Amino acid sequence: MPYRLSASATAISIVLLLGAAVSVARAQTPGNTLPRTPDGKPDLSGVWQVMNTAAWDIQDHNAQKGMPAGLGVVVGNEIPYKPESLAQKRQNYEKRATADPENKCYLPGVPRIMYMPYPFQIFQAADMITVLFEYVHATRAIYTNGTQHPPGHIDWWMGDSRGRWEGDTLVVDNVHFNSETWFDRAGNFHSEQLHLVERFTPLDRDHITYEVTVEDPKVFTAPWRMSMVLYRHREPNFQILEYECFAFDNEFHAPVPSN
Amino acid sequence: MSRPSFAAVIASVVAGAILSVGVARIAAQGPPPPPKNPPPPGWIDPRNPPKEDPNWQPPRTPDGQPNIQGQWNQASDIITYSIEDPEADRAEHIAISGQRAMVGRPIIDPIDGKIPYQPWAAKYRAFLYEQHRQPSKPQFLDPVSRGFQEGVPRISYQGTYQIKQFPGTVLLTYDYHHSYRVIPLDGRPHAGKDIKLWMGDSRGHWEGNTLVVDVANLNDQTWLTIIGDFHSDTLHVTERWTPTAPDHIVYIATIEDRKVYTQPWKLRVDYRRQPVDEQWESAVWEGNRTADVVLGDSKK
Repeated sequence: MPYRLSASATAISIVLLLGAAVSVARAQTPGNTLPRTPDGKPDLSGVWQVMNTAAWDIQDHNAQKGMPAGLGVVVGNEIPYKPESLAQKRQNYEKRATADPENKCYLPGVPRIMYMPYPFQIFQAADMITVLFEYVHATRAIYTNGTQHPPGHIDWWMGDSRGRWEGDTLVVDNVHFNSETWFDRAGNFHSEQLHLVERFTPLDRDHITYEVTVEDPKVFTAPWRMSMVLYRHREPNFQILEYECFAFDNEFHAPVPSN
Repeated sequence: MSRPSFAAVIASVVAGAILSVGVARIAAQGPPPPPKNPPPPGWIDPRNPPKEDPNWQPPRTPDGQPNIQGQWNQASDIITYSIEDPEADRAEHIAISGQRAMVGRPIIDPIDGKIPYQPWAAKYRAFLYEQHRQPSKPQFLDPVSRGFQEGVPRISYQGTYQIKQFPGTVLLTYDYHHSYRVIPLDGRPHAGKDIKLWMGDSRGHWEGNTLVVDVANLNDQTWLTIIGDFHSDTLHVTERWTPTAPDHIVYIATIEDRKVYTQPWKLRVDYRRQPVDEQWESAVWEGNRTADVVLGDSKK
C-alpha cells in the first residue's frame, strides 16, 4: 500500500526532524495515531484477548497433556511467597484438577479473568469503563469518575475497581476481593488482602500492554508484577458469545419435547 | 442421574395434563377482570396505559441517537412467577414466598392476556406447572432458580438495569446476575443459525425515536416464568423501546415461536427512570444451593 508507506515515511521523517530527544519508545507508541475518546483519552473500546498460557500457569512451564508450554507472565518468574504460603501453593498444585475454583465455574476473579482464553469487550465512557467477558458473562465496572473504593472490607469475587489516567496509561486500583479465587490452574493463590494495581498502556491501536502489580501481605513477602499483551480482535463482525460454564452439566438440561 | 427417556417425558406430560385440566388454555375470551390486589403507587397498567405526549422529543447523544441512557426499572408491577392473569397463581406466590402478589399483566395481545400455546404445548406447560412446586427432576425446576441466565424477554421484567449508548452500539447491563446485552446498530447480520445463546443475539436500529431490536439465536433452555412458560429454539423476539417522556420508556416485545405458539403475541413493560447507582456484584451461581434445597432427594 504505497499511501501507507508514504504516510509512515513522512511520520518517521517528522520524528527524525524533532531530533534525538524523541526516544525510540515514543516513536513506537505514536500517540497521535491512537483512537481517542472525545475527552482525549486513548480509546480502549473493542474486543480483546491475550495470546498466552497464563490461565494454566503464570510462571514458566513445560507442556503437559492438554496444556501448552509457555513462558511465564510473572516479571522475573519468581513469586515471593511466604514459606507457609509456598507450601499451600504446592498443595494446591497437587490437587489442582479438583481444587481449582475455576473447575466449579465460579467467577474467576481479577486478574485471572483478563488472561482466560476467551475474548472480552471494553466499552469506554468518560466516567466509567465497562468490561464484558465471554467467560461466565463476567463483568467489571472500572469507575474513572474520581470516586474512591467503598468502605469495607467487602468480599467480592471480582473486587472493586477505581481507575484514573496517567498520561495514556489507564491505572486501575483494585481491592475488596474474597480469598476464593486462584491466579491460575497451577494453584497460585492469594488472600482477601489482595491489592492489585493494573496498568493498561496502548502500544498501538491494536495492542495494549497489560501490567499488574500484586500485593498481599498475608501471602507474599513483597509486591510482584505480571506483564503481558492484550490483542485486539480484527475479524470482521467479531463478537463475544457465551461460555456458560455451569450450564454444560447435562443433568440440568431440559429436553423440550416437540409436537 | 440418567436422563429421562423421551417416552417417560411424554408419559409425564400426559399425566400432568390429566391432573391439570383446569389449567389447559381455552380460546380467547376477552380481557381478564381487573386485579383484586391494590396496585402499588405509581403503577402503570400495561393493559391500560396513560396517554403519551406525541410531541415530546428525547434528547440526543453526541452521535445523534435518541438518548435513553440511565438506570431504569419497570413500573408495571410484573413478576417473573407468572405473566398470565390467573389470580390463583398470585395467591400461590404469596403462599410460597410471603411476598405480595403483583398485579401487572403484561400480555397485551392476545386480548385475553394468555400465551397462545399450541395444544401439545399447553399440555407440556400444564405438566411443568404441576412440577414447579416440587420438581421430580432438576430440569423441571425454573432455569433461573438453577442459576442460569434469564433469556429474552424474561430479563426485560426481572429488575433494574442500565442503558449505555455508544456510537454504533447500545449496551444493557442488568443488576441481576451481571447479565448484559450488546446490541450492535451497524446492520451486521445475526450470528449463524447454529449459534445458540442464553441471552440471544441482538441487532438494533432506530426507527424515529424507537429502538427496534431483533433477537435471534436463542436457545430452548430458558423459561418466561417460574411456573414453566416455555419456548423452543425457534423463538424470535422483536423488541421496541420507545421513550415517551424524560423518565418513561415503553417496551413492547413481539414473541414468535412457530413450534410452540399458535400466533405471535405481545407483552408490554413500562420503565421508569431511577437515579443511577453503582451496579455491585450479583454473584448467583457461586454457592447457589436453590436446586439442592428445592429438589431435595429428587436431585440424585
